[in-house]
Amino acid sequence: MRVSNQVFDMELRVARNDAFSFGPDDADAVIGTGAVASIGRSVDEIFEAACRGTSGLAPLRRFDTARYRAGAAYEIDDRAGAAHDRPARATSWLLEAVSQALDEAGMGLDLTDVPVVVGTGLRELRSVELRWRDGTDFDVARLHFGTALRERFGATRTYTVSNACSAALYALAMGSDLIGLGMADTVVVAGADSLTESMFGLLDRVQLTAPSSVRPFDRDRHGVLMGEGATAIVLTRDAGRAPQHLVGRVRSTSVGCDAHHMTAPDVGGIARVMREAHARAGVSARDIDVVFLHGTGTRLNDDAEAAALRDVFGRDVTAPLMTAVKSMTGHTSGDSGLLSLVLALRSLATGRVPPVLGLNEATGSASGFRFARGNGAHEGLRCAQVNAFGFGGLNAVAIVDRPASGRS
Amino acid sequence: MSPVITGVGLAVPGARVPADLLTPPRGAVDPIDPATLLDPRGLRYLDRATQLALCAADPLFAEPDGPLAAPHARRPSARERTAVVVSTNYGNLDTVCHAAATISTASTDALRPMALPNASSNNVASALAIRFGLQGANVTLCNGPTSGLDAVFWAAGMIATGRCDRCLVIGVETTNEVVQRLLDAPAEALFDGAVALVVDDAAGAAAGGTPPLARIVRSWRDGDVAASVKRVLDGEAAPPGVWFTPEDPAAAHVGLLPDVARMDLTRTRGRASGALGVLQCAAAIGWFTGQADALATVGDDHGDGVTTLLLRPVPGGTP
Repeated sequence: MRVSNQVFDMELRVARNDAFSFGPDDADAVIGTGAVASIGRSVDEIFEAACRGTSGLAPLRRFDTARYRAGAAYEIDDRAGAAHDRPARATSWLLEAVSQALDEAGMGLDLTDVPVVVGTGLRELRSVELRWRDGTDFDVARLHFGTALRERFGATRTYTVSNACSAALYALAMGSDLIGLGMADTVVVAGADSLTESMFGLLDRVQLTAPSSVRPFDRDRHGVLMGEGATAIVLTRDAGRAPQHLVGRVRSTSVGCDAHHMTAPDVGGIARVMREAHARAGVSARDIDVVFLHGTGTRLNDDAEAAALRDVFGRDVTAPLMTAVKSMTGHTSGDSGLLSLVLALRSLATGRVPPVLGLNEATGSASGFRFARGNGAHEGLRCAQVNAFGFGGLNAVAIVDRPASGRS
Repeated sequence: MSPVITGVGLAVPGARVPADLLTPPRGAVDPIDPATLLDPRGLRYLDRATQLALCAADPLFAEPDGPLAAPHARRPSARERTAVVVSTNYGNLDTVCHAAATISTASTDALRPMALPNASSNNVASALAIRFGLQGANVTLCNGPTSGLDAVFWAAGMIATGRCDRCLVIGVETTNEVVQRLLDAPAEALFDGAVALVVDDAAGAAAGGTPPLARIVRSWRDGDVAASVKRVLDGEAAPPGVWFTPEDPAAAHVGLLPDVARMDLTRTRGRASGALGVLQCAAAIGWFTGQADALATVGDDHGDGVTTLLLRPVPGGTP
């Protein structure tokens, strides 16, 4: 749906169809990408490391290991041997990822009129922990990312969306909507998260055994470990002309809520969002060549995700390739959906799909799924589905593709 | 598509109806006690911000003619098309900080497992979804001073793009020792409450037999107060009748809108941060007297941005 109003004047003269019938969304073009994670400081670095099966797992660097059962995580190593943590790390990676994306898009660093929507699970809560516990200097005005985005890029139309593990794909839906409403031709969509002791600690408290690594969909998986990362894309209205730097297209993003349980996922809610993503993109399950799974490595998530895929794909569930990058990056919280998305675009461009690390034998609910294993190249990967399902039943699914005439 | 506000719910000390927000609370008022308003069993493990939000939203569903009661009774599929947007900046800071402190003096064994959902700031929005069965888009904006009016904007925006048919908007902040210390403010200077709005499309509201309380005319986010206000009022024949001003008293410059009456809810209700914009909309509905519009602004020139919203009264109950 496209309307043209520069100011969001609410008197939109739009004829709306019946509530449940929506036609295919117009695709938006991705013209720049950027990312920082435990296994690399750029999208290419992360992608190459992932394809090689590199794990970002390391002993906890900043937390006192004596106080946790889990002893490792997928942290970004940006401490030069410092004994203490420092504030605003997530913010610094966000700025880095956005800079990378703007650079790839051939845009300058002035985002005066460009909206920026950031999805995050934990904002700068780590910085607040440090202030509360250690008296570290940190202004709560920097809990959200708008302040730093204005300082660095002059951005004033910024939104920090705190939406658990699906936050960055929720941000993508909202960024696309700004384009669809005619309020912007170009938006920056991002995700950013660092570990908090409260979240890492509470996960530590509730998991029956402390996992030693993230092993999505493996029969012997035993839970999730957190990771750190920031990702950014530049999204622009796809006016039918191929922009010079076309990384790929976002065909649709669908969002919803289970309204079921505060931490456990709901198969029905997940399946519904998948179906809506397909409908909005104007694709069927058969058109999906590869699925970037949410794959946290918990018993609950992986079983629910597998069941939802079976429900939606039916017998075609064994057709697409499937991968789960948290097996290498850990669970980067709100950032994770967008990190998977930029890696999915690289897979579509190169034909290479990162393997699922630590997958020895697929769990029963996922038997028959075509998990990516090696480092070989696949032909004809055109369309990818990216899943992100968060605590509180927050679900989001994006469909991306890469037209044949795109940049190689 | 014409977004309207069809319902207001309040969990604000000393304010029963929107018009009560226009004057300071009379005398000393007790904080809201959710256990007296809702079944206490349903409040276990929910943090105060979540409890306050439930108190504000409950009448919108529970009362027989509440704006969210009718669709749910008649059309179960409406639940998938009802979204939630929560605006809060400080809502779960107490859980986060206390957990970090507990770990540092003991270990994770000393943590309460039921605190896990509250370590993530979307806990309020998710609890509302579960309580009222709302399966549409579920968004938590932690967007600093502008967050409350940004939430109202996004509610209307998601209806306009077809992601939902209607949206429950909540603004909530609480006061506790963590918030007080981090903001360096005493409890009495801080807002401790929740405000709920229902945003709908005028046509949908009419079809559902729900009279609108206000029309959302225009919203704009910009870098400074003057630019944001100017953009929103551009083209309007008559000035607004009232201007609900931002938290920072210096933000509403003396020279701006000199002939428009100003209302500073921060002075009378305390620093409301992410809840302020939603509180302003509720107060505007209480203020509407004749035909004049109400203007609301949050943020200031030195922060990350400013959001302004223009609300219009609904003559005779129809826009």
